[in-house]
Amino acid sequence: MADRLLVSSRKGLFVLAREASDWRITHTAFLGDNVALALADARDGSWYAALDLGHFGAKLHRSTDQGQSWNEVAVPAFAEGDEVAVGDGKPAQAATLRLIWSLEPGATHEPGRLWAGTIPGGLFRSDDYGQHWELVRGLWDCPERKQWFGGGYDQPGIHSICVDPRDSRCLRIAVSTGGVWRSEDSGASWTQTAQGMIARYMPEGQQGDPNHQDVHRMVQSPAQPEVFWAQHHNGVFRSQANGTDWHEVQVPPSSFGFAVAVHPHDADTAWFVPAVKDEKRYPVDAALVVARTRDGGRHFDLLRQGLPQEASYDLVYRHALAIDHSGDRLAFGSTTGGLWTTDDQGEHWQALPARLPPIHAVTFA
Amino acid sequence: MAKVVLAPALTRWLPATANHSPGELALQVIGTDVGQVLQAVFQQHPGLRGYVLDEQGVVRHHVAVFVDGQALLDKRNLQQPVAADGEVYVMQALSGG
Repeated sequence: MADRLLVSSRKGLFVLAREASDWRITHTAFLGDNVALALADARDGSWYAALDLGHFGAKLHRSTDQGQSWNEVAVPAFAEGDEVAVGDGKPAQAATLRLIWSLEPGATHEPGRLWAGTIPGGLFRSDDYGQHWELVRGLWDCPERKQWFGGGYDQPGIHSICVDPRDSRCLRIAVSTGGVWRSEDSGASWTQTAQGMIARYMPEGQQGDPNHQDVHRMVQSPAQPEVFWAQHHNGVFRSQANGTDWHEVQVPPSSFGFAVAVHPHDADTAWFVPAVKDEKRYPVDAALVVARTRDGGRHFDLLRQGLPQEASYDLVYRHALAIDHSGDRLAFGSTTGGLWTTDDQGEHWQALPARLPPIHAVTFA
Repeated sequence: MAKVVLAPALTRWLPATANHSPGELALQVIGTDVGQVLQAVFQQHPGLRGYVLDEQGVVRHHVAVFVDGQALLDKRNLQQPVAADGEVYVMQALSGG
């Protein structure tokens, strides 16, 4: 099991290590600054931290010594003339990087390749460990992109990037709000594939429009890469057809949420952290639960042991639920700074005895 | 020459190679407008460009630039003149904190 955890928070990056039977904070980085997410790149052991500085914009730092020291690298940038046009009536604006919202490594045979999804909705590629970035024009220039709109943020963004383990030229992204897109040629051309999802916030007649789907998070099964799970604004959806032909799954006690994790060796096993639906966003009855299915979404176990069952107002954001390579160890962090881990797929949870800042993202390293 | 003062909140992001002690950084640079003055700063400290300006060349929403004690009139217009002995102060806007 993975013995290190990177916790990205409103006030810094916390590095945790597993010791004997519990987790301890071993060191911090960027303390006091807003860390949007972190990536531990298994290809070369390097770590990346994406910052969201209130005054000075989005930044990216890289560490090659496991967080002891950091060097700033470049961030994705839009070009003069790039414009964010949106589909919900807001005026178009010049495109400027607001947030690095997703960061994923390329394949093993592509050292140095990184993919970044941003707000506004750009996908960027680096082939030199983040020293330079290039906007994927094939997606940005799709006319449908101008119909995307913000979900939670003023502008649309790309929060999920899946590099297909069978063929790294095949990419899938999920957009809030703009559905699911697939490229089979490393980003040169793109196809919308959110058919089957339902956007109940849209007027009748447009609810099935794939380009209006507010996907909150999408993951691909490593074991069966044709299987995808998506936590959507209006529910949970599953695809057994390579990220197309989505089918809705009912999750108790609420199908609303942000995060999803899939077991690395079993495509039918997935975890969610439900919350009261969209305009409320706190645990149902203020009792924090994790919902787990082992049969592809037909049945769910509600996992509560070790989680607060009263007066809990913890919301778990889309990047704040992580699973390690074993599939037994998970961790999640909340908007109120709670952090819980499990070594038995969620049967028992252990709270970190700390009052952390609001947590944006959690990942094993 | 114009004087440029960079606030500590900004200079703390200078790379270690800049060898700058914590605190304000004051520079004497050549330039007759805000854009030229900032460009001279970025020549010495290239990494600061993205902290002060966005990629479209506009002063960031939560960065404040003062010319001789007066806020920049238009964050999109860097052609505002700077006197030969003028002072440009670059700081974090309180709105972004």
